[in-house]
Amino acid sequence: MAKPASVCVGITGAAGYLGSALDSALRANGIDVVQYRRTIPSSIDEPNVRFFELGRRPEPGTFEGVTCLVHAAWDLRETNQRRNWECNVEGSKRLLEAALGDGVQRFIFVSSMSAYFGTRQHYGIAKLAVERAVLEAHHVVVRPGLVYGGSPGGMALTLSKLARLPVIPVFPNARLFTAHVDDVVAALKTLALLPEVPSSVLGLAHETSTPFPTLMRALATEVGSTSPTLPVPWHPLLLALRAAEKIGVPLPVRSDSLLGLVRGPQDLPGRALTAELGLEFRPFPQGLAGSFDAV
Amino acid sequence: MAHLTKGQRLPEKRNFGSSFPFDDFGQLDGVRGEGDVNTSVISGAYGGFSNTWGAQTMVYSAASFVDWPFSRDELEPDYRAILSSIPYAGERDDLEEYFPLWGPADPLPPLSDNATRILERYRRHRLQVRRHGVILGKSRLALKGSSCVSCGLCLTGCPYSYVYSASHTFDDLILSQRVEYVAGFAAEEVGEEGERPYVVAREIATGARETFRADRVFLACGAIGTTRLVASSLEMWSQPIHLQESAQFLMPLASIRGSKRLSQDDSFTLNQFNILMPFDEAGRDLVQIHGYPYNKSMDEALPAVLRTATTRFLGAMVLKHLTVGLGYLPSWWSPGFDVTIERPVAGAHSARVLITSDSKGDLLAAEKLRAINGRLMCVAPYLGVVPVVPMVSLSPPGKSYHYGGSFPHANDPVEGRETDLLGRLHPWRNVHLVDASAFPTVSATTFTLTIMANAHRIARAVAGSARG
Repeated sequence: MAKPASVCVGITGAAGYLGSALDSALRANGIDVVQYRRTIPSSIDEPNVRFFELGRRPEPGTFEGVTCLVHAAWDLRETNQRRNWECNVEGSKRLLEAALGDGVQRFIFVSSMSAYFGTRQHYGIAKLAVERAVLEAHHVVVRPGLVYGGSPGGMALTLSKLARLPVIPVFPNARLFTAHVDDVVAALKTLALLPEVPSSVLGLAHETSTPFPTLMRALATEVGSTSPTLPVPWHPLLLALRAAEKIGVPLPVRSDSLLGLVRGPQDLPGRALTAELGLEFRPFPQGLAGSFDAV
Repeated sequence: MAHLTKGQRLPEKRNFGSSFPFDDFGQLDGVRGEGDVNTSVISGAYGGFSNTWGAQTMVYSAASFVDWPFSRDELEPDYRAILSSIPYAGERDDLEEYFPLWGPADPLPPLSDNATRILERYRRHRLQVRRHGVILGKSRLALKGSSCVSCGLCLTGCPYSYVYSASHTFDDLILSQRVEYVAGFAAEEVGEEGERPYVVAREIATGARETFRADRVFLACGAIGTTRLVASSLEMWSQPIHLQESAQFLMPLASIRGSKRLSQDDSFTLNQFNILMPFDEAGRDLVQIHGYPYNKSMDEALPAVLRTATTRFLGAMVLKHLTVGLGYLPSWWSPGFDVTIERPVAGAHSARVLITSDSKGDLLAAEKLRAINGRLMCVAPYLGVVPVVPMVSLSPPGKSYHYGGSFPHANDPVEGRETDLLGRLHPWRNVHLVDASAFPTVSATTFTLTIMANAHRIARAVAGSARG
């Protein structure tokens, strides 16, 4: 796709898994990018890297010159519910307002598959609240599936660690929508560059969800594990995780994340529009090979 | 499903002790109901029912317009125009996810103890509450919040006129000589000669009929008043016309911790907070419950057994823990009612109005009320407030005052049944229905602001076309 005149894409969470992949892809296409980071290493001395932290009110002019802002930042460090909401939800609403105030023409909020109506996952509820604000402002929401491939991060990385255990826990009835990172990046690039995109919620994932056991076996193969899988009832595990969290035991997986794995959405939102826009997603595990070689 | 019995119903509101918004000045002649329906449905007062309304001022959610022939975006400039011309108090909170604050709003006056505690608990347990599909936020009111002195007299008549009434706008228009207000007349017929509209009105004091002619006529008699005027003028006799109503329900909410003292002073007594329950992702199927704090009229609403000299302290204890929830269902979950217009009887002036309701819609409403109760029970431990489920009951048809849709707007209107986007019913070209009679649906969000905005939209379009 040719670079449209005077397009500049800002990315919050530019140091994250998806943000950094999007940044690289846009730059490789000669598109101006502004990275928004909460920490700027002293080694980086670029005018196109700007400070932004979700919990803080952006200074006026922070988004000056940016035509499209992809908001991929989400702070998972804060475990206190009230402060987490203040940081992520209120922070995202402030960001939206500041960005539009600075003249950003398109705001793309990177939400989550956990954010479906009726979700019981706290992460999904918080993302849904931001989605509503973005849609009220007539901008765009995307819900990527489980993103894999490239230099994996996020949930894919966590699951790959589980796949290395001597016994791999699986939840028999769980299914996840998946998306290769390159496809998600291509979709975001399209959404950022198209002259018109209707305000909507778009699921960025392959249309068929993958059974969780299939997904874990594929990840195990990829990380070189031959461990057997063990079907685990998730309800007792959820209770155990919650109990451990109550007494402050540090855990590799949060109870809320477990809910996201086992109680995902049934449908992919915005399928007609993603098809109309020509956004395509390969089926899992295409493109997984080699992802974990460096991990 | 439990319906409120006459003894359980909320008392009719008074303004400085007067019932004038509900009084019959002749406009209720021939209005009768079959069964348990409200028949005080047309106001003859200057300013109409806005003299006693709850002043709740919220835009409809965007998804509320999916059944309408235009979108909320098209109405946004009109919402903004209205909100900039009436007092408006509200604050930024989670309700903005569905109902944006459009235009500068005054902060609300201080809330009551119970409302403050409920909202604080919501903030503390927000995720647990929201996971059960419940969202809370402060009310948005047509109230001069920054001037309010918190005397607590809102529901019996604001002595400072800080609660908006349509009469305020008329006062201004009359004072600035932009409107000539002709009082003491009852409109009996509307029509067009050629394309020039006219209204035949009867002077109530003398019975003399007078014809008023104009380039345009805008009808805003309230949904039933307009329906009677239109249907009788077009001789639509004996045809039941369905009105959609956003049914009201009463939901007493008992706080686990009570207020320290029982007083309406130092606060305001309009709705203080809203409980919102979305039942779909888009935000169309919304239910709202308005939380009213203690006010003195609640003393009289207590059962007699709690009002004796010896038991009064028990009554006070109950009231310290009580918030009155007034809830609304969207019209598509509500029974609604029919209005049938009959020829006037010999010697009478006005066409007769028969209001009837069957109980077909009750089952759906009951099912939804159970779902609402269920959600509130789930969040009770977090909010510290429990619905008094046995007392949750639906008000009789017509009692919500949120009804309309007798001649709904449509892109391709059916002759004699629907109006075009400018509220015109065939065969009229210059008579416009601008009240809720032209609403395609009635959402559970209070609808006065949307009536005003829609009337503004029509007037703006008509004025625009007049200018060419």
